[in-house]
Amino acid sequence: MATVDERSDPDLLRALAVDDRSALAELYRRHSPWLLARLSRRCADPDLVDQALQDTFVAVWRKPGSYKASGEVAAWLWGIGIRRLIDQVRRRPAALHQLDPWDASSPSAEEQVLLGVQHGDLAGALDRLSPELRAVVQATVLDGLTTREAGRLLGIPAGTVKTRMMRAKPLLREGLT
Amino acid sequence: MSEMWHADPGDIARYTTDTIDATRAVSIEAHLVTCARCREQVAGVADRTRLDAAWVEIVDTVESPRPTVVEWVLRRMGVRADTARLLAATPSLQASWLMAVIVALGFATLAAQSGTERGLAVFLIVAPLLPVAGVAAAFGRELDPTWEITAAAPGGGFRLLLVRASAVFATTLAVAAIACLALPTLSWTTAAWVLPALALTLASLALSTFTSPERASVAVAVTWVVAVLASAQETRDLLSAFGSSGQLALAIVAFVSAVLVAQRRDSFEIRSRL
Repeated sequence: MATVDERSDPDLLRALAVDDRSALAELYRRHSPWLLARLSRRCADPDLVDQALQDTFVAVWRKPGSYKASGEVAAWLWGIGIRRLIDQVRRRPAALHQLDPWDASSPSAEEQVLLGVQHGDLAGALDRLSPELRAVVQATVLDGLTTREAGRLLGIPAGTVKTRMMRAKPLLREGLT
Repeated sequence: MSEMWHADPGDIARYTTDTIDATRAVSIEAHLVTCARCREQVAGVADRTRLDAAWVEIVDTVESPRPTVVEWVLRRMGVRADTARLLAATPSLQASWLMAVIVALGFATLAAQSGTERGLAVFLIVAPLLPVAGVAAAFGRELDPTWEITAAAPGGGFRLLLVRASAVFATTLAVAAIACLALPTLSWTTAAWVLPALALTLASLALSTFTSPERASVAVAVTWVVAVLASAQETRDLLSAFGSSGQLALAIVAFVSAVLVAQRRDSFEIRSRL
């Protein structure tokens, strides 16, 4: 791009409200790469991920007003993106979808510092969980999904999400103290 | 703090290629939400062809007209895309038309609420006329803004007629059925309009093979009201037209009309409509 668009993310969203196509292009340039990367880590089927990414920006174009003028635009976009992905997964239940396999290797010293300062030994605590429990923690705590949404994404009943979360909590608490 | 700390470029590369361990991925994801600089890093190693292809699709969707609510619901129900568009373009499936149907039924229901025979008679006379008007509006040269396009569409006259007429009939029937629930007494009489509705709709379709849909529907409506009132006059019973002999007569009308429509289906094709 020849000229750098100086507008902030919220400014771009305001421009969308008056049908400014260049604002959508700039938002896409800034946010599509990391959204694609993050969505790809939630779903193994690239077609579903691509469709979810497209749906996200179409939704942004049609309803930029649903952004509540506070907080990170990126966080808002992720909220839309992950829900569009869930829609895709739900519509094609036969499609293979699975969470990225968690590497069970022990956390490095660097990580201990990074995560340990604010959150106690989160990395260690997460690593001690089974992959099934970690997937549920990631979907509900880190991705901010509801129990039902997490269930759809992971392809398990909402009740199972709840019981796994209940099992994960004391394990996490143990790991953090 | 996020201004001070930035993700390691090597980590970002490993993150996008999914070769990073999970806990580190979690911390990168949390950081990316707040850091434009690291998001640019991700953009630097992203799959450009994939992103460009998705962008083309987005522009395509954004530029094409939005499907209406009706079309969207139909698509969700598994109706084929072209049929959904045809149905959504039906004038009598638009929100304004449905509102008019609801208002008309509302008044008829209010009349029936009085609990008198006269009130119930008003409801029973009005309810069957609504699908007649709806079907007429679905084909009328006067009321359908896409009439020329519809008329010029190849091979679709009769199929379009059946699809649209059934859709209009079903929606109106559903609205009227809901109105029925608001009637003071739920007996067989409250449902006595269903067969008349079918008979009158078919009769107006049959008649519109001879003349315009608007004229056909007006003729049917007038005949209907006069017939009901005349029957009431004769027997001194306002609801006599909805009794068993009346229903039998209407069933015959429905059957004859259906046969007539099937026989004269060619008249719905373009040659005879211009």
